[in-house]
Amino acid sequence: MLMSTNAEKSTTTWQHHREARDSRLEAGARLARGKTVEARDATRLLEAVIRPGDRVCLEGDNQKQADLLSRALLAVDLSKVNDLHMVQSGVVLPEHLDLFDRGVARKLDYAYSGPQSARIAHMLFGGKIELGAVHTYLELFARYFIDLTPHVALIAAVSADREGNLYTGPNTEDTPTVVEATAFKDGVLIAQVNEIVDQVPRVDIPADRVHFVVKADKPFFVEPLFTRDPAAITEGQILTAMLAIKGIYAPYGVRRLNHGIGFSTAAIELLLPTFGDRLGLKGRIATHFALNPHPALIPAIESGWVQQIHSFGSEVGMEEYIRARSDVYFTGPDGSLRSNRAFCQTAGLYACDMFIGSTLQIDLQGNSSTVTTSRIAGFGGAPNMGADARGRRHPSEPWLKAGGEADPDSPALLRRGRKLVVQIGETFGDRNVPLFVEKLDAIELAEKLNLELAPIMIYGDDVTHIVTEEGVANLLLCRNAGEREQAIRGVAGYTEVGRGRDRNMVERLRQRGVIRRPEDLGINPLDADRSMLAARSIKDLVRWSGGLYAPPSKFRNW
Amino acid sequence: MTALLRHVAPAERISSTSFSEASARTRVELLLDPGSFVEFIGPEKREISPHLRIFDLPEQFDDGIVVGHGRLDGSPVFIAAQEGRFMGGAFGEVHGAKLTGLLRAARQIRSTPVLVLFDTGGVRLQEANAGELAIAEIMRALMEARTAGVKVIGLIGGRSGCYGGGGLIAGCCSALAVSEPGRIAVSGPEVIETNRGVEEFDSRDRALVWRTMGGKHRRLLGAADVFTDDTMQDFREAALDLLGLVGTFGLDKLKAEQMRLGDRLRRFGACEDAVDIWTADGIAHAETVPELSADQFIALANRIGRTSRDAR
Repeated sequence: MLMSTNAEKSTTTWQHHREARDSRLEAGARLARGKTVEARDATRLLEAVIRPGDRVCLEGDNQKQADLLSRALLAVDLSKVNDLHMVQSGVVLPEHLDLFDRGVARKLDYAYSGPQSARIAHMLFGGKIELGAVHTYLELFARYFIDLTPHVALIAAVSADREGNLYTGPNTEDTPTVVEATAFKDGVLIAQVNEIVDQVPRVDIPADRVHFVVKADKPFFVEPLFTRDPAAITEGQILTAMLAIKGIYAPYGVRRLNHGIGFSTAAIELLLPTFGDRLGLKGRIATHFALNPHPALIPAIESGWVQQIHSFGSEVGMEEYIRARSDVYFTGPDGSLRSNRAFCQTAGLYACDMFIGSTLQIDLQGNSSTVTTSRIAGFGGAPNMGADARGRRHPSEPWLKAGGEADPDSPALLRRGRKLVVQIGETFGDRNVPLFVEKLDAIELAEKLNLELAPIMIYGDDVTHIVTEEGVANLLLCRNAGEREQAIRGVAGYTEVGRGRDRNMVERLRQRGVIRRPEDLGINPLDADRSMLAARSIKDLVRWSGGLYAPPSKFRNW
Repeated sequence: MTALLRHVAPAERISSTSFSEASARTRVELLLDPGSFVEFIGPEKREISPHLRIFDLPEQFDDGIVVGHGRLDGSPVFIAAQEGRFMGGAFGEVHGAKLTGLLRAARQIRSTPVLVLFDTGGVRLQEANAGELAIAEIMRALMEARTAGVKVIGLIGGRSGCYGGGGLIAGCCSALAVSEPGRIAVSGPEVIETNRGVEEFDSRDRALVWRTMGGKHRRLLGAADVFTDDTMQDFREAALDLLGLVGTFGLDKLKAEQMRLGDRLRRFGACEDAVDIWTADGIAHAETVPELSADQFIALANRIGRTSRDAR
């Protein structure tokens, strides 16, 4: 008995994964010189190292895309590679979905699908994609280390040296996280690079984690997603921005925060050096950000408002400006930006006192969603920013004040603070679609697709304030669901939801300061004029930057 | 608390207000001597388009154009300003008739010049032939007014540019002033791309759009006589300059214009891109022209950019 147990033990191996990885590497090595593989051999390389049913991370970020490797994967022989389980944060390129149409891949776990949101909805309805789940960035990254660890990761970098050290450039984004999970769990790492150099400007990914390097014939695709042309900001957005600054930023003294990417928050960024300055708020609000390098923030930075910004990714055209403003941004020894989505999402969740952003629909409980019945854009990072971090323990003035408003009766020493989660928008949005609805499209979608959970961007119980042109609703001060509903109706303007308000109750809420109208805040809506913006055009932003900001052609009007 | 626009002194307001951002009414108000503007067929008359209702489209009481008379530096002027934010400033039947009537009045009075503040994408497609006819009537009225001795000055710097029939009418004016955001052409970028393909013209390449149709290029080619910065003050000065510069109109002038255009085609007809034209015109580092500030560009244009005083 004892003997046989020992015999069994001596034959048990605990290194199956390593052996499997080594045999994949051996197969791939036949196509490589050192670690370098020619672009024309990329598909054969993928056929050599990927096995049917593998979990594959095809980078797949919010901004940068391993586009050469996407095309190479799409072209594989289906008898060698099929039924893959894609685990990637961004489903952005058409090829990402072509993989499912062709049968290369079958299952998908993702976080964000901006430009492919309509097609992904269509394919989910048609059963072309077996959906694992739609995640937030941090959730998907977390699952890389628990149960969605990639067998193979296909990543993108700016350059590699002969050993395989990688320089990602400013758009580091998800790469370190993907590499960490894959390389240290016996996975295979393949990088596409724009060029192979003798020495990389800095090492973002050390060579011993990279197995193959493919030189692409053209630079990887990267999309400027965070440039908002000041010329398109409306007076309505300026009014909501003024209400937010005077009604929320100022009274709570919000210094550490994250902004969404809409025009309302761009308006806030452009009002800091003008309206904010006249309110004497410089240095007292908006000093530290978890934020991509928004061009709209240039005037505030140049005016000395902003002390520090950590970024998820970068923004095309901002490279030289960032390099010259290293006091503000995180930069490497080479001088260029180092971004990191996982760290910045963590920063947004735990180190920021406020998230403020726009949404497409808000219901009577304050739940919000950017899903419509024909589009599933995914979550990205907004739910990580726009959620109260229950694990937070360090105090700050805005956090404690918000906690006190929500729960005035508990003893202060035992009372949690609250993150300020602000939804900002005009009561009627793009194409006059109402922002406020009785029932979210997300619920209808979940019913149609038989999902266990409706895709809610920000849950109502996390939302603390809603700002529209009609005023600011402070949901922290509501004591029951009825008050909450009327506070929301009370700023919903002439939408159906707004017209369904109980006038007397809304008036009482206003007397208690739950709802604050522009006049309650000393703001005259007629003052919301475009002349208040620190920059009214992209060219103004270039001027503010001293010529360092180089906007992509699609944003120019000169 | 905040220094509000409506509390700002008029002099400061005219120098701080952007022409491209202002509404048609603000442009008229700030361009003319304060308080001098009198409107013809104002919004209270509710002369609205008879066509838009059929398409269930919103109407505007002034049909997107403000016409009237006022004073510029003490002297009487007629003025018309298109509202680029209403249907892209497009010409419809009523819109066009208001401008035609203004130009005919100028023809009859002879001595009062006309300022036309263009901001238009061209003809309102919903008004089809009525819009096309309006363009023809305006061009005829404009040329008749000029023949009668009236100076017609076009000012172009609105966000809708000056396209389609607007581009044709602008070509008939005695002189044009343009700012950097202003664009002048007949076919717009999207139209060219649709008809000739993205290889011919990528309408989303905005740098290409601006260096092909934008104010700087039009000034360097001589299509516009004056380049101005984007404030109302600059446009007011440009209008005054041009009123002082424009000479008499007749057959000789049309022949000179024909020569000028023929010469331009011979010199630059083979160029593929505006930068090639600028280079051929002797501008060093022509690719940096779009980056020049207004002052720098005006200095360059005065040195290089040809305008012929006897043409047009």
